[in-house]
Amino acid sequence: MNRMTATECLLEMCEEHLELEDYQSGVPRWCTGCGDNAILAAVQRLCRDEGLRPEKTVFVSGIGCSSRFPHYMKTYGFHGIHGRALPVAEGVKMSRPDLDVFVNTGDGDCCSIGAAHWIHALRYNMNLTVFLHDNQIYGLTKMQASPTSPIGTKSNTTPRGSMLEALNPLTVTLGVQNVSFVAQAVDWVPELLYDIVKAAYHHRGLSFVRIVQRCPEWMPKLHDPWLHDPNRVQVLHHARGLQVSAALGRVYRNQLEHDPLDLDAARRIASGNDAIPVGILYHDPEVPCYEDFKRSTLLRTPALIRSGLQAQFDKFTVWPKAAEVETAQQAA
Amino acid sequence: MDANATHSDRVAFYLTGRRAEGMREVGALRPALQARYRDLTSLRHDFPLVLATSGDAAAPSLTALVDAALASIAKGADAERARRQVLRVEQEVRVLLQQGVEGTLAKLWSDATARLAPGRDASLAEAARRARATIAVDGPLLRCDATLPERLLQHVWQQEQQRKQTALRERLVRLIQQLSDILRADFERSGAGRDATRLKASVGSGHGDLFDFDAMSRVLARATPREPMPEARRERIRRLLGVLDAQPFVALPDENAARAAGHAAYGYRFDSCAAALAAWRERLPKLIELARAIEVAELEIDGRYHAERHDALFASYGANGLEPDLLSHFPDVFVCLDGTSLDAAEQTRLMEILAGELPIKVLYRVDDLLAALDDAAAPTSPGLRCRQIAHMAMGLNQVYVLHAAASHLPRCGERIARAMRFAGPSLFCIYSGASGAATGQSTYLAAAAAMESRAFPAFVYDPSGGPDWASRFHLDDNPQPELDWPIHRFEYEDARLQRVSVELAFTFVDFAAGDARFAPHLARLTPGSDESDLAPIDEMLLREAGRLPERIPCVRMIDERDRLHTVLVDEQMMRKARRSREMWHSLQELGGVHNSHANRLLERERAAWEASHAAASALPAATPAAIEAQAAATSLLAEAVPEPEAAAPSRDDAYIETVRCSTCNECTQINPKMFAYDANKQAYIADLKAGTYAQLVEAAESCQVSVIHPGKPQNENEPGLAELLVRAEPFR
Amino acid sequence: MDTVVSPPTTVKPAATARPEATARTMLTLREHIVEIISDSGEGAQRCGQSLGAIAARMGNGIWTTEIIPAEIRPPARSVAGASGNRIRIGAGPITNGGDETDLVVAFNEQVLLGRVRAKELKPGCIILLESMWRTHGDAQIAASYVEAHDKLVAAGYHVIEVAMEQECKALVADAKRGKNMFVLGILCQLYSLDLQIAREQIALTFGKKDESVIRTNVMLLGAGHAWAATNLDFGFRIPAERVTVPQLVINGNTALALGVMASGMEICAMYPITPATSASHYLSDVFEKVGGLVHQAEDEIAACAFAVGASYAGKCAVTITSGPGYSLKQEAIGLAVMGEIPLVVVNVQRGGPSTGQPTKAEQGDLMTAIFGSHGDAPKIVIAPSTIEDCFYSMITARRLAETFRMVVVVLTDGGLATSQQPFARPEFSESWLAPPIDQSPVPEGARPYDWDPITGLSPRFIPGQPGGMHTLTGLAHDRDSHVAYDAEINEESIRARSLKLAALQTTLKPPPIFGADEGDLLVIGWGSTKGAIEEAVQALRDEGRRVSSMHLQFLQPMQGGVGAAMRRFQSVMTVEANWSDRPEDALIDDDNRRYAAVATLLRARYLVDVDCWSEVRGQPIKPGTLRRVLAAKLDAITAPVGSPT
Repeated sequence: MNRMTATECLLEMCEEHLELEDYQSGVPRWCTGCGDNAILAAVQRLCRDEGLRPEKTVFVSGIGCSSRFPHYMKTYGFHGIHGRALPVAEGVKMSRPDLDVFVNTGDGDCCSIGAAHWIHALRYNMNLTVFLHDNQIYGLTKMQASPTSPIGTKSNTTPRGSMLEALNPLTVTLGVQNVSFVAQAVDWVPELLYDIVKAAYHHRGLSFVRIVQRCPEWMPKLHDPWLHDPNRVQVLHHARGLQVSAALGRVYRNQLEHDPLDLDAARRIASGNDAIPVGILYHDPEVPCYEDFKRSTLLRTPALIRSGLQAQFDKFTVWPKAAEVETAQQAA
Repeated sequence: MDANATHSDRVAFYLTGRRAEGMREVGALRPALQARYRDLTSLRHDFPLVLATSGDAAAPSLTALVDAALASIAKGADAERARRQVLRVEQEVRVLLQQGVEGTLAKLWSDATARLAPGRDASLAEAARRARATIAVDGPLLRCDATLPERLLQHVWQQEQQRKQTALRERLVRLIQQLSDILRADFERSGAGRDATRLKASVGSGHGDLFDFDAMSRVLARATPREPMPEARRERIRRLLGVLDAQPFVALPDENAARAAGHAAYGYRFDSCAAALAAWRERLPKLIELARAIEVAELEIDGRYHAERHDALFASYGANGLEPDLLSHFPDVFVCLDGTSLDAAEQTRLMEILAGELPIKVLYRVDDLLAALDDAAAPTSPGLRCRQIAHMAMGLNQVYVLHAAASHLPRCGERIARAMRFAGPSLFCIYSGASGAATGQSTYLAAAAAMESRAFPAFVYDPSGGPDWASRFHLDDNPQPELDWPIHRFEYEDARLQRVSVELAFTFVDFAAGDARFAPHLARLTPGSDESDLAPIDEMLLREAGRLPERIPCVRMIDERDRLHTVLVDEQMMRKARRSREMWHSLQELGGVHNSHANRLLERERAAWEASHAAASALPAATPAAIEAQAAATSLLAEAVPEPEAAAPSRDDAYIETVRCSTCNECTQINPKMFAYDANKQAYIADLKAGTYAQLVEAAESCQVSVIHPGKPQNENEPGLAELLVRAEPFR
Repeated sequence: MDTVVSPPTTVKPAATARPEATARTMLTLREHIVEIISDSGEGAQRCGQSLGAIAARMGNGIWTTEIIPAEIRPPARSVAGASGNRIRIGAGPITNGGDETDLVVAFNEQVLLGRVRAKELKPGCIILLESMWRTHGDAQIAASYVEAHDKLVAAGYHVIEVAMEQECKALVADAKRGKNMFVLGILCQLYSLDLQIAREQIALTFGKKDESVIRTNVMLLGAGHAWAATNLDFGFRIPAERVTVPQLVINGNTALALGVMASGMEICAMYPITPATSASHYLSDVFEKVGGLVHQAEDEIAACAFAVGASYAGKCAVTITSGPGYSLKQEAIGLAVMGEIPLVVVNVQRGGPSTGQPTKAEQGDLMTAIFGSHGDAPKIVIAPSTIEDCFYSMITARRLAETFRMVVVVLTDGGLATSQQPFARPEFSESWLAPPIDQSPVPEGARPYDWDPITGLSPRFIPGQPGGMHTLTGLAHDRDSHVAYDAEINEESIRARSLKLAALQTTLKPPPIFGADEGDLLVIGWGSTKGAIEEAVQALRDEGRRVSSMHLQFLQPMQGGVGAAMRRFQSVMTVEANWSDRPEDALIDDDNRRYAAVATLLRARYLVDVDCWSEVRGQPIKPGTLRRVLAAKLDAITAPVGSPT
């Protein structure tokens, strides 16, 4: 039974409770109307509601508009190099399981230059919460087609429209062994965005959340059809997944009950291409975490290291012969 | 020879216990139903047990282990032979035990094998070896004797303690390590931590001559000045380390114990409540100190200890004791009491322990249920006292109570384990069956008979089982708990060598009749006497007491040659049986069997239901309307009540659908006074007057998720209103 | 140390077994180089290692070098397939692999030919050759054996045919696998090594296996020993000094791995690459016993980024690689430099550029180690010069990385990685270990990059420290770690990161000089060449030549006093295993000659006309070669003006 002891209750009382502002650092330099603002708001809400301690929380990012995210959080942050957010985050988590580690990455950062790390991060399934800010364009470098840009996207590198089909982050992740949590959100339905971010945080393992995000600067009209027709957003709900509030249900009537344990169904939904599925596509809490079997359970005391090292030295030591020679002579 | 004591003689005996001719001393007879249990060594029953030092079951029975072994080895051609051979060895082990040989499974198994196959029978030895090889567990073998309850329970208790102590030890070692790390980290960045000699040591002899460590020390000193840890905190941590190192509850590994000047850890096994209580009272302050230290240490290590907030909190820590949940992290005390020689003082202390919710596990053992039962003048018998204590404990509601005969303990594995894990006091009331041994019966059979005959029923009260009696109290371990007495089929050949099959109840009398002390209340009839005026105990008990009986109660018993005898029972004995049945009834009620309240409730409901039915059939057919109304009503109840629609604002008010705002900053950029963010960083109209209708409309237009509704203008003579209203229309 | 003794000409070893032993000539040597070669998988490696260990236990100095074929399983009896071990046994301490081989044991003639062509055998050296091929069923094989044998004899080698397999057949079922211990027995007899120590060594090597295995091998050992006693009429004695302290006999990569454990580092992130991998293999096996872990990442980039993440979070991590992997890690190393994240990077150098020579040794990565990664990215670069140094370098590297918030690159090479040399067993000290992670609250107003104007150093905030919250960034940043593009801040931060090197430099002692403090020629080297250089210099000094040497352990920053030392010599040259243009080449002149790495650095820093000699043959530089080179150089320097040099 896990009822709190009196002490626990009192300690709970002693904890200071933070507000959204306490997690805010600096003034976001994102364009007005950029979906990143919505994601920032949702994540700060999560931090407040879960009472995350700023000093115990790390946001790791790569390069791109989305990757400025850590700068706007008053927590620890790591704004690294292009495409390498995931391995860095893995290193952080592996050495410090006591930290909450989040990753903010963009469609270029994750699906292009960092694609190898993306696939393998899913395989390792370390306990990280990964947000893919997918605005389907390179923003910071001023509008080049990204792997997720819809075919035909006119950009500075594809002036006559991009020739390749867009890569689908959902089907890719759902195709990787050991994947344990895949969800999709859209920045313009903040209520669901928050619920999904929260579910992702509570999953133990790598939770991958693709957030379809508007870029008012380079792709202003891209999402209008979905924005203006709520029926083109398909809300996935399930006892094991999201529950849709009545109020929201009245706006978004296109709903589908989907069991997050059903991988095949998840792949079907992910492959569909008219309505944007929003919700938890796949969630298997049983997938083991890399750090759990990788990290030694031994308490790393100097004594432990000393004895371990001595044991190794013994393997390779040649002792002064004197004694041995004598014994040899005795033997002979 | 007089085969026929007259009916009146029998009545006389029944009333006075005086034997007439043709009624003999009962002698050494045993209850008929125990006929099959003459030789226990040839019987594959729950004993002996193995006090396993490993494995998931604390004390598996030899039978179970052998069965498991057979399942895996008895395959292929010689399967059957191997089976027989292994079972033969198993039986031999029982024989050895009966002869008083002590030892572990490994030892007795090999002894038995040796005895059976002295060199010659290689195949048996081989089968035995293979079987033994598949049995992973080992430990002392335990037969059902007077010492069983104590040894078994202590064994389970010890295992649970080891688990707890290991967990506690690991936790303490970790805390000590992490606390010392805090101090070390502080030292490392202090001046002393960076002096030349330390720096030299830190690169290892191979590179000692590579550096000018004084220079390096100077560089580091000026480069990274850091204010050291506040003295108060360092002091606090030192104190914590002091407490953790010196705590006497578990022994720590050498490297820690070294610092703590090798004090001895506490013992936790006591033979009297007095001793246990004394120890508990003496240790409590230290326990509170340790528990506090652990809590503080965890905070300290996690960097969450804030003196201004926590000092006060922990100053009063444990002032009014510690909760059982918290205590359950520390070792429990185990007390063994002998119920037959327990003075009043001890009983009072026992109640203190139980009432105080102390983490103490008490074994209350009774060896003799029938002592002092036969003479009416004697004070309550140990058996009754035991029952009474169990009931008092249950009355306290926070005590785990297990009441059972020793013979039944092998079946209580999980319950005993639960009781040992239970956060709080546990009381084990156990009848060992030792008295049986005194009167030539086997301890096992005596105990088994006590349970079978309801003389010492098995029941459990598990406070952790749930909120109510139904989930806490269990009676179902007893045979046929819904009956007054368990009923068994009994077959025998009568004088004319005809096979007869009857159903016999195993009553209190069957239990007591085996005991010499009750011989005065019994009379054996000469074989072949007329039995037409006799009736079995259970039947007799159903009749009104205190009237001149037209039938005499009798019990079926057998002698050492398994010949069946009919034994008359006198009225005094019957009274004991009746009383024992009453007590059983009250237990049944607690256990929800034939519960009187429930039955009455049931009665009332049934009556009401029948009444209403009668009424309904009397009335004329109800009007359709009425039925519809009723249907509507029920359906309304059926479906979930929809949440009340928020009153939809009219097209004239200006408002924002805040929950749908995606924090895109468009509106707040247009007019930060008019539009503001709430605690969730979602926009609402903070002050309608703070801006123009034009701004309101512009915001509505620029809002990407179109959640801004401008409503109607506040200021009728704002310029360009007409045009604005047109633009506003789609958003109103 | 005096020159290598050539094989005894007095001895005329018999080509066939003799019935009874005759008077044996015993020769006392200062040192000898023995080589055991076979097809891979025939146990020559183990035989060689055992011989080395036995000699070490006897108190001899040893240096063993692995002979590794390029492929995993080259075809049997192929010239390129030589696999085995080369052991230099000496009376005193041995610091390098030495020159050519004095005595070789070959399991077939083809691998032997390979060594002959590689000029690894001393003219007329003794060859113990497996003779089974002479009577082989396959006529072609038999023929090629005879041909090779005769050729070798004709070439003046002292070939002794030994029916190894046949001898072993008498004792064990699988003679092919028993051979190596038989040979070990022969060698123990030849070099008068203590048989009891040999037995114990076998017990150690086969310790994991059961008694019978050990017994069989001991029996074979004895048989070989007896065979040599009866059939060989010569033997050697190499006097040994009494060993008084326990010694470790391990190769450079094992030393690195043990160093990692001893440094208190907890995480090693790597990606498989030759010749670095064996360090990670060993670590993967034992690291968890001290609570550490090896993460095999999806690629070199991830491995380095993973290590960077772990270090940033408070546990300084190491990533172990070789040239090609090092190139891939550059971007993450740059990030570590910019974020001032401690990091240890080991580069076990192999032949380059590109995939180059995976199994060979070179010193070609010094420049990329110092200047690699775009922009100004100051890093500490150190180069172990002995096996022992490999161990201690890891402890020092971890310490410096955390103390100076810098990347420390440790440069070893394929030579050190696979060579064994005994050194005093280290006395573990707890102060080697990384300090516990500091989680204390950060004082009010403290800043994550509070650069000290003099040293450039600044205290580091680690996640978990209350009040220290900031976002580390690879972008230019100010003292608050805020992205900053303005000119002053950019210069200030670059200056600070650069100053840290100077700060470290002021704590370094000048490198000691081997030989006299002044003279005609100062030889400067770094890394694995130390033993060979000092041996050659000593030899020349013994002849009265005025030459000294100096070995650099720190390449960045460079230890002080080098300039002053150079000016005390008439001439200075470096000896390195990386390319430098040959002056004798037609096109090469002072305007276009590319100097070896350290020569270039020294010339640039001290404006001294530093010459260099280098070779990139993939093999460790031989002391004999150096002796010739240095002698020539000395002649040139000391030749009277005007006379032809």
